Amino acid sequence: MNNHLSAWEQEEYLLDQRTPQMLRHLSECADCRAAIAGLEHGVGIYRKAALEWSAESLAVRPQPYVTAPRQPVLTLRLAMAAIIPIVLLLLALIPFHLSSPRRPAQPVAQISDDALLDQVDEQTSVAVPSSMESLTHLVSTESGADRKGSKPLAQTN
Amino acid sequence: MEALERLNYSGEFSPLRDRMIAELEDVNTLCLTYRSRIYRYALLSLKDPDLAETITQDCFLKAFNARKDFRGDCSVATWLTRIATNLIRDCTRSRKFQFWKTANSSAVEAGDIADRLRSPGISPESFLVVREQLVKVWDAVATLPDKQRSVFVLRFVEDMELPEIAIAMGLHVGTVKSHLHRGLAAVRKAMERTR
Repeated sequence: MNNHLSAWEQEEYLLDQRTPQMLRHLSECADCRAAIAGLEHGVGIYRKAALEWSAESLAVRPQPYVTAPRQPVLTLRLAMAAIIPIVLLLLALIPFHLSSPRRPAQPVAQISDDALLDQVDEQTSVAVPSSMESLTHLVSTESGADRKGSKPLAQTN
Repeated sequence: MEALERLNYSGEFSPLRDRMIAELEDVNTLCLTYRSRIYRYALLSLKDPDLAETITQDCFLKAFNARKDFRGDCSVATWLTRIATNLIRDCTRSRKFQFWKTANSSAVEAGDIADRLRSPGISPESFLVVREQLVKVWDAVATLPDKQRSVFVLRFVEDMELPEIAIAMGLHVGTVKSHLHRGLAAVRKAMERTR
C-alpha cells in the first residue's frame, strides 16, 4: 500500500470530486482515511465556530422590519399626471394668443400730454370763467333779451 | 460561463423564475429567509458585526431595487450572495475600512471565538485540544487572501456547490477549485502544527 492519496487528492475528496480509484484506496488504507478525517475535522470545527459566532452575534441584534422603499417611479408618474394637463392647456392657448390683433402701443407720456391739452382747450374756449357764471343771468345782450322777451335790467330798476 | 450552463435555472418565462421574482417582491419574507446567511457571510468576511449588519441591509435593499434585473439564471440565495460579495469588496477597498483594519479595534481574535465554542459531552482535556486546533485553523483561514477566504466560507460554511460559488463570486469553476485547494492546504498546515 505505497500509493497513498496525495494532498491534492485528499482535498479533491473533500470537494466531492471523488473517483472510484480514490474510494477503493480509502476503503483499504487507514492512513489516508485518518488524513482525510483530520482535514475534515479542521474544516468542521471552523464551520461549527463560525455558525455559533454568527448565531450569537445575530441574536443580540434586533430583527429589522423592512418596508419596501417608496417607488420614485410612482411619485414621478403622479407629478407628470398633474403637470401634463396644465402644459397641454397652455399649448392649446398659444394659437389664440398669436392670432389676436395687436394694437399699436401708445406711449404713456403721449396719452397724458393729450389729456392735458384737451383740458386746457376746454377751459380757454369757455367765454365766461366758471367763477363768474352766476352773474351771467344779470347781464345779457340786447338782442338776446329781445329774443327771450325779458325786460332790460335798467328798466326794471 | 460554464457555471451558468450547469445550473439549469434559466428560462425567461419559467414558473420557477416567476416564483423567484415573487420571492424578491416580498422583502420582509426575503429578509427572514436569508438574513442569517448573508449576515454570516459578511461577518466572516469582515470580522465586524456592525459592518456585517450594514452590508446585510444594503444587500437586501439593492436586491429589492434591482429585482426586475434578476434573470433567474441562479437561485435567489446565490444572487443575494453575489450582491453581498460586491458590497463586501467595495467595503474592504475603502480607505476607512483599511484604517480600522490597521487599528484592529473591533476585530475578533481567534481566542475569543474558541472560548465561545460549546462542546458538550467531551472531556476538558479534549476540549483544550479542540480549542487549540480551532485557534490555528481560524488564524489560517483569516490570513487567506480575501477571495480565497470568501470561497472557503461559501463552500464549507454555507455548503454551496462549486458552480454556485462561481456565479456568486464571478469566477470560473476552475478558479474556485484552485482557491479551495489553497484554503484546504492552509487548514492542513494548521492542523499539522497542533500535533
